[in-house]
Amino acid sequence: MGGSGRAWRLVAAACVIAHLQSGTSAAQTQGDPNPGAITLTGSMDASNAYLFRGIPQDDTGLILWPAADLGVALRSGAGTVRSITVNVGMWNSLHTGITGSDGPSGKLWYESDFWTSVGVGFAGGVNVAAMYTAYTSPNGAFPSVKELSFKASAPVRGTNPYALVAFELEGQADGGAVEGRYLELGAAPGFSLAGMAVAVPVKVGLSLDGYYEGLRGDERFGFFSIGGSLTVPLSSERSRFGRWNAHGGVDYVRLGDSNALRLGDNTKVIISAGIGLSY
Amino acid sequence: MFSIRGVRRATTAVAAATLMVGLSGTRAWAQDATDPNPGALTITGNIDFLNQYMFRGIRQNSTGIAIWPSFDLGIAAFSGEGGLKSVGINFGTWNSLHTGDTGQDGPSGKLWYESDFYASLGLGFGGGTSFTTTYTAYTSPSNMFSTVKEIMFKLGVDDSGPLGKAAVKPYVIFAFEFDTDVATGQADGGSGAGKYLELGISPGYAASKAAIAFPIKVGLSAGDYYEHPLTGDDEKFGYFSIAGIVTVPLGGTTKYGGWNVHFGAEYQKLGETTKFFNGDESNQFIGSVGFGFSY
Repeated sequence: MGGSGRAWRLVAAACVIAHLQSGTSAAQTQGDPNPGAITLTGSMDASNAYLFRGIPQDDTGLILWPAADLGVALRSGAGTVRSITVNVGMWNSLHTGITGSDGPSGKLWYESDFWTSVGVGFAGGVNVAAMYTAYTSPNGAFPSVKELSFKASAPVRGTNPYALVAFELEGQADGGAVEGRYLELGAAPGFSLAGMAVAVPVKVGLSLDGYYEGLRGDERFGFFSIGGSLTVPLSSERSRFGRWNAHGGVDYVRLGDSNALRLGDNTKVIISAGIGLSY
Repeated sequence: MFSIRGVRRATTAVAAATLMVGLSGTRAWAQDATDPNPGALTITGNIDFLNQYMFRGIRQNSTGIAIWPSFDLGIAAFSGEGGLKSVGINFGTWNSLHTGDTGQDGPSGKLWYESDFYASLGLGFGGGTSFTTTYTAYTSPSNMFSTVKEIMFKLGVDDSGPLGKAAVKPYVIFAFEFDTDVATGQADGGSGAGKYLELGISPGYAASKAAIAFPIKVGLSAGDYYEHPLTGDDEKFGYFSIAGIVTVPLGGTTKYGGWNVHFGAEYQKLGETTKFFNGDESNQFIGSVGFGFSY
């Protein structure tokens, strides 16, 4: 299957754009097309390969990732707890290769994920969020996986480090014997360059228990990745059609043994590009 | 039961959303300084619960309930004062989750019976006339039917300007299926791609605390839309429907948008083919309740 960092990634993308275009402060100003409490984020990306937390899904055709997220700001203000946000969203993966329209199912729609999350923002930019995700496969390529995850992040000297822990409640990403527990540590140093946002995301995915089951049992190391991404605004922050952007990136992924066995190689370069909307 | 079919929401959810817009005065209110969303994008969502899911008269479940979560993004691309008053683009997803024989309790064991994606282009003209073209892909994540692809044209007139409360809001829909094969990509699972014609009206009345509407429609085959599985004959008459929908706003419009609860009751009289799909019963009653929001 595939699955998830995307929910978090979509939210992170929205944050990058908001930062780039001062969306947060603009939200308080006159002329903001959407001063209410509901935010819509959407994106459509194309990629040459899809690895879910290092677990290979497909690299034989074109892969499309349409996604949308609806955020509801329940609280925002001063004090220790600065914000409380509820998000609901979906992420999809459409494959033209062997797990999609060219495969046994003949169907493009490989994956559809639904998530709902609650996030709390504290003073100093510290954020804690809990997310429930259901990873499903409309073309029947994998059985559904249900997961609960928690993420903590903070803006430390522009590096934006985070830690994510996920627990499989039902179904398994690795198709192994037991539901897994997953740990991801990462950072996404970023800066602005000539009106564009540049980020260098780095992360490592580890099994806490049963997440990367292979021939020799559960393996601790799942993957390491480092990438570069560029986001270019396509509209002004006050556009009544929301803030649009074009983005692209390259990730180099080094895989652990069980994932390398699935892929047939221990490294992979993933290229992706797309457009995004934040409103 | 029915081995096939493409599906689609009955009118109730759409009508309820439409009613809500009228009820809360969203269009006019969108110009107000306190509008939480004065931009060009509108978000609409619904979740409805029904005892029965009939797609244009074709039964989709026999037991359990159907749950319809849906989401729509509307873009007001243009508004002006000339002959062309408005251009709107919509994208959306509509889903049907079944607990009964075509869902969780059925052979697939899966709840997610149907997921539709659609994109539409709507043109608004003077006199309340509108013309909308919609592409819809009806898919079944639980593999209960093959994907149906359809282009639909809708011509409608909002006559509430000249007629006020006596408005009936007539419309006509013409839809055709494409990319089909025998028993594949067709709502009736027939041999030929279907062409569908629907004529309807939607009189109603909106007060400050609630709105009520009485949509009436008839669904006809304009060619191979209601092919009888046994005789192979294309039946012209698909179904007749009359419904009552009450929509009650949940408070006013706030920074979270406008929310409502709606209730519906619908009676359908079925033609020969749709009667066959309905277990040889020519009458069908549908009850629904749901929540909606518009932002």
